[in-house]
Amino acid sequence: MPKIVRTTAAWRISTWTTLAFALGTGVAFTIIYFLVAQSIRDRSDAWLSGEAETLAQVSAGTPKDHLYNRIVGEVAELATRELPDERNSQGQRLNSVFFLAERMNGTEDPLWVGPGPMAPFHKAIHVANLGRGTPRSITVEGWPMSFRVAERQAPGGQIVYLGLSNRGDTNLLQNLTRRFVLLWGATAVMGFLISYLSARRTLLRVEHITETVSRIGSEELGERLPESASRDEISQLAKTFNLMLDRIQSSVNQLRSLTDAVAHDLKSPVTSIRGTLETAMCSEPNENWRESVGQAIEDLDRLLSLLNTTLDLAEAEAGALRLDRSPIDFASLLRQLIDLYHPAMSERHHQLTEDLEANVLVNGDLSLVSRAVSNLLENELAHLPPNCQVHVRLHSQQGSAELAIEDNGPGFPPEIVGRACERFVKGKHSSGHGLGLAFVDAVAKAHGGVLTISDRSTGGAVITVSLPASVLQPA
Amino acid sequence: MRLLVVEDDLAIQGFLKRALSEAGYQVDTAYDAKTGELKALEGIHDALIIDLGLPDMDGLDLIARCRSQGTSAPVLILSARRSVDERVKGLEQGGDDYLTKPFALAELLARLRNLLRRSSPVHNDPARLEAADLELDLVRHEARRSERVLQLTPQEFSLLEYLCRNVGRVVTRTMILDHVWRMRIDPATNVVDVHIYRLRNKVESEGRPPLIHTIRGVGYMLKNA
Repeated sequence: MPKIVRTTAAWRISTWTTLAFALGTGVAFTIIYFLVAQSIRDRSDAWLSGEAETLAQVSAGTPKDHLYNRIVGEVAELATRELPDERNSQGQRLNSVFFLAERMNGTEDPLWVGPGPMAPFHKAIHVANLGRGTPRSITVEGWPMSFRVAERQAPGGQIVYLGLSNRGDTNLLQNLTRRFVLLWGATAVMGFLISYLSARRTLLRVEHITETVSRIGSEELGERLPESASRDEISQLAKTFNLMLDRIQSSVNQLRSLTDAVAHDLKSPVTSIRGTLETAMCSEPNENWRESVGQAIEDLDRLLSLLNTTLDLAEAEAGALRLDRSPIDFASLLRQLIDLYHPAMSERHHQLTEDLEANVLVNGDLSLVSRAVSNLLENELAHLPPNCQVHVRLHSQQGSAELAIEDNGPGFPPEIVGRACERFVKGKHSSGHGLGLAFVDAVAKAHGGVLTISDRSTGGAVITVSLPASVLQPA
Repeated sequence: MRLLVVEDDLAIQGFLKRALSEAGYQVDTAYDAKTGELKALEGIHDALIIDLGLPDMDGLDLIARCRSQGTSAPVLILSARRSVDERVKGLEQGGDDYLTKPFALAELLARLRNLLRRSSPVHNDPARLEAADLELDLVRHEARRSERVLQLTPQEFSLLEYLCRNVGRVVTRTMILDHVWRMRIDPATNVVDVHIYRLRNKVESEGRPPLIHTIRGVGYMLKNA
């Protein structure tokens, strides 16, 4: 994909890295430069001082006759040769040394050994007014480089000056600087390239993630990011993305199957209603009309109850189920419901028995709790083959009311074990919508309770609802 | 008896008007809260039926306004909102009863009758009920048909009493559950039918003519003749 390089993160990262690197090495070089310059100066100063001392002694020790100038001159000449020759490309000596000895009272001509005429040096030395201590730099007219000069007083009134051109040192340092700048530039470019390439390599993976994710958004939820074996941040990012995608996909699938289930469950009654009414419409008015209308109303009622339960469940799952709480005498509520369901159970030759602990109070929403319990009894009615036993048991333990409804029927079909509380999950032969237990589960949760579903070891199913409760002490 | 129906859904409004007229009421209608308020303030209605989702104002506000301006007629609230909260709020704001859409017409009529009876000054609670050749002694909890005592369980007696109080009118299964068992549940199975079946066996045994009739798709009716 065409992209302006300068807007990429890789460019920014490597630019800043290079700048920081260059700045760091620059500072380091400056420090080294000054240290080197200092040590070169110290070395030449030490040489100058020592040599000036020697020359002063030689000058003092040599008798002041006509050979004096020659002897001292040659010693000075030898001293200037002590330094290794440093010449530039034109063969010109770089480490020029001069020697000047003069009487303090200035009665005799000074003794001069050095490059070029003495006058400018002599003048510069007097202008600079050197002390007896450490050597100092002076500028000599006609010489581009300064000279480092040491002054010594020889016993016998002679003053000896020994000077050394700074040109050698300066050249050395200039060389050093030039090479450093070259190396510096080369390293900076190299560093920039390396950091740019490595950042680019890393960020390409991010770009890959971006591309894949944007494709997933618009096309296919099944696609996943490649997860590399390494455990760096980007692999973590990819893993996290994949986990998120798994969750999104599963909830989208759930939603899809839910919509399918609702659509399916709506379609059949609607088709049946339409068909019934159409048949009635096409026939002559007679008593059959009543039958058809009645049939249509019954179908509509089923449809409405499906809608209502779906809405209740949606509300419950969104956590919006508002409870109109009041203390419920659980045993008497159960007895009422058992009385209500008893004839219908007998009709199918079931035995409905009860074992209810009295004085168990549940602080709950009467209408929701009754609907939940009635759902459980409805389940028994709808799913048990004839001639079964249904036992309703209520007992309290540790602040909770445990309602268990047991039967000796066939138990839960294997295909729904573990999922029976999910919406629209129902056995193959069930005629319901698969919402009953989901609703009970939602009501139990809204009350801070739990619904558990299991098969008994002796055959049959047991459904337990435990709700927070208090036990009333009988007066 | 004159009623005012404030409902913006014309299909529901039309159906209510037809059904209520057939049940013997005079019916005025209003499409929005503004007209509804004007008509309600005329003070000529015995009961108001108000939908909560009106185009220009919330039904609850309309009820509050009517109440604050002195309308005393009982109000039956219709709503598509099913939450308990809404019901409580509706009743607090001055509504007298609450019915969620969709509803069975029989239930609407029953609730309306209930409201009108409550608001009428004379309130008689009979000790005896009669229908056709059936007699119920509410004090002694005894039911007779053609002078012969029927052996009913307390539950069956309450059921028969409820049917008897609504003689000639349809009662739905929901209404039966609500009034006889005090349960607001919505069973998908035939629990109520089994109770009716058993009661019918006792009331109509020995070749006596049928008394409790099934109205397919709606509910049951105890017929006088």
